[in-house]
Amino acid sequence: MSARWRKPPSPPSPELAHPEPAPTDVSTPDPGSFRDPASRVVIDGDKVVRLLDERGLEGWRSLSATKFFRTAVADGRLIESVEVDPPDGSAAALAHPRLDFISYPYEWTFSMLRDAALLQLDLLEGALGAGLTIKDATPYNVQFVDGRPVFIDVGSFEAYRSGEPWIGYRQFTRQFLFPLLLRAWAGVPFQPWLRGDLEGPTAEQMAKLLPAGKRLNTSALLHVRLQARMESRMGDRSVRRELGEAGFTADLILANVRKLKKLVASLEWEGADQGWSTYVECSHVTRDRATKGEFLEAALDRLGSRRVVDLGANDGHFSQIAAAKGALAVAVDSHEPVLDALYRGRPGPGLAIVLTDLANPSPSQGWAGRERPSLMERARPDLVIAYGLIHHLIYGASIPPREVVRWLSSFGCPVLVEFVSPADEMVVKLVGNKLPHELHPGGEEADFRALLQQHFATVAEQALGEGTRVLFALEPLPRAGGEPVITTGGEPAMTSDG
Amino acid sequence: MIFGYLDPGSGSMILQAVIGGLAGIGVAFKAYRARRAINKAETGSEAGDVSAVEETTQPAES
Repeated sequence: MSARWRKPPSPPSPELAHPEPAPTDVSTPDPGSFRDPASRVVIDGDKVVRLLDERGLEGWRSLSATKFFRTAVADGRLIESVEVDPPDGSAAALAHPRLDFISYPYEWTFSMLRDAALLQLDLLEGALGAGLTIKDATPYNVQFVDGRPVFIDVGSFEAYRSGEPWIGYRQFTRQFLFPLLLRAWAGVPFQPWLRGDLEGPTAEQMAKLLPAGKRLNTSALLHVRLQARMESRMGDRSVRRELGEAGFTADLILANVRKLKKLVASLEWEGADQGWSTYVECSHVTRDRATKGEFLEAALDRLGSRRVVDLGANDGHFSQIAAAKGALAVAVDSHEPVLDALYRGRPGPGLAIVLTDLANPSPSQGWAGRERPSLMERARPDLVIAYGLIHHLIYGASIPPREVVRWLSSFGCPVLVEFVSPADEMVVKLVGNKLPHELHPGGEEADFRALLQQHFATVAEQALGEGTRVLFALEPLPRAGGEPVITTGGEPAMTSDG
Repeated sequence: MIFGYLDPGSGSMILQAVIGGLAGIGVAFKAYRARRAINKAETGSEAGDVSAVEETTQPAES
C-alpha cells in the first residue's frame, strides 16, 4: 500500500478559500509541526516538505540506510519520503505525499487508536532491531490512509545511542495506553479527555480512574500506579545519564515494548459490537436506503464532487457510495460503535472516519489556537451530505432550524439534506420528554422550505417513505457579502506530527 | 549528552528499567543511587524517597 498523492481540490467557493494566497514555496510552516527543532514541516503545493537541520539529517541518513525503512515504506506502515533540494537554512529536505484528510486522535474510535498504538510499538521494535529509535510516541504522528494507520513523521527516527532509555515511553502511556485503558477497563470514552488535554491523562490521573477490579492488575501496577508514584517522587531530577552509566540497554526497551504490544493487543471494548444492530433495526434505514443512495449518486454524477463530507454518516453506507465514485468521503458521526464497526470493516480507499458531535465539532486548538485546526477547517467539502441528521440537531441538541440551515449554507457548497417532519416516528421519540412550548418553531416542512429559500436554490427533491421525510438537493445562492462562513484561520494543517 | 525535545520524565525513565525485568531492576537501583549520591554531594540533601523503587521486588510482567 502506498499513501495516495492527490492534489487537494480547489475550495468550493471564494468564501471558503484561505484569505492568503495558496502556498507555493517552502516558507509556509505547518502550524502543527514545530516542537522538534531538528525537523519541521512546510506546505509546498500538493506536497508536504520536511526540513531537517544537521541533527535531523543525521537521523534521516541513519534511517534511510536500513532495510527496516525500505520494508516499512513498502508495506505502507511508514509514509513515502523523497529527498529534494533543501532551501537555504536547512541541511536536507524530504518530500512526502500530502494526505487527503487529517484526523486527530480525539476524533478516532477505540480500534483506530489501538491500531495506531500497535503501529507505534511495531515500528519502535523494528527500529531498535536496526539500531534506531523513535524519539517520541504521539498519535499525532499517525494518520489513516485508505483505512490503515500510517506513521507520517520520519523525522522521529534517529540512531539509538547506547545507554539511552525510550524517551517516548511516558508520552506513549499518556497519549495511547491510558486512553485505551480508560475505554477498555473503565468504559469511559477517551476522546473528550484527549480533546480537552492534548497531552493525555497523567499517570497520577489515570491511577485515580482505575476501576477497583483493575487496581491490582500487573500492568496497572506498573504502567499506571508505579509510574505515578515514581514521577511524583523523582520530580525533575535528571536520571538519564545515570541510567546509561548503570547499564541500561536497548534490550530493556525491547522487553517493555513487547509487553506493551501484548497488553494493547489484548484490550477490547465491549461496546464496539453494539453499533450495527441498533442502527439497522430502525425501520426507516432499510426503507429509504436505496432511494437516498440513488439521490446521492445523481448528485455526484451531476456535480462531479471530489470531496464529500457525510454529516451524520452512521454506518458509512453513503460515504462508501461517494468513495466508490472516486471522491474522498469524510464520514462524520457521534456514535462510536457504528464508526468503529465501519473502521474494522476495512472500508477501503477514499473514506476517512471522524468521530465528533456535530453540535460541538472539534475546535481549532493547541498552541496559539492553531496547532490542531478545527474539523470544519479541515473538511473543505465540495458536497455535503446531511441525511438523517437535522432532526437530531433540532430536536436532540435544541439547535433552531434557522441555525441548522445557516450552518449548512456556510459550507458554501451543494448540500443534500433530508428533512424530517415533527410527525416522523423518530422525531416523536426524540421529543418524548419535551413539552410543545419547549421546542423551537419552524420545524414544519413549509417553514423549512422557506428557510432553505433564504440560502439555497433547490435543484431536486424526493419524498421518502411515509411522507414525513423529504430529500433536497441544494445549491448555494450567491452570497450578498458579509455572510459569515465556517472556515477561519490559516491554511489547514495537512500533517499532524508534533 | 544530547537531549531530545521531549521531556521523558525521570520517574518514567527509571520505571522502564524496572519493567524490563530482573536485570533492569538492578539498573534502576544503580541509576537511582547514583542520582541520590550526586544530589547529596551537590546539596547535602536526599534525592528523594527511594521506596518506590525498593518496593518493586518482582520482575515485571504485563
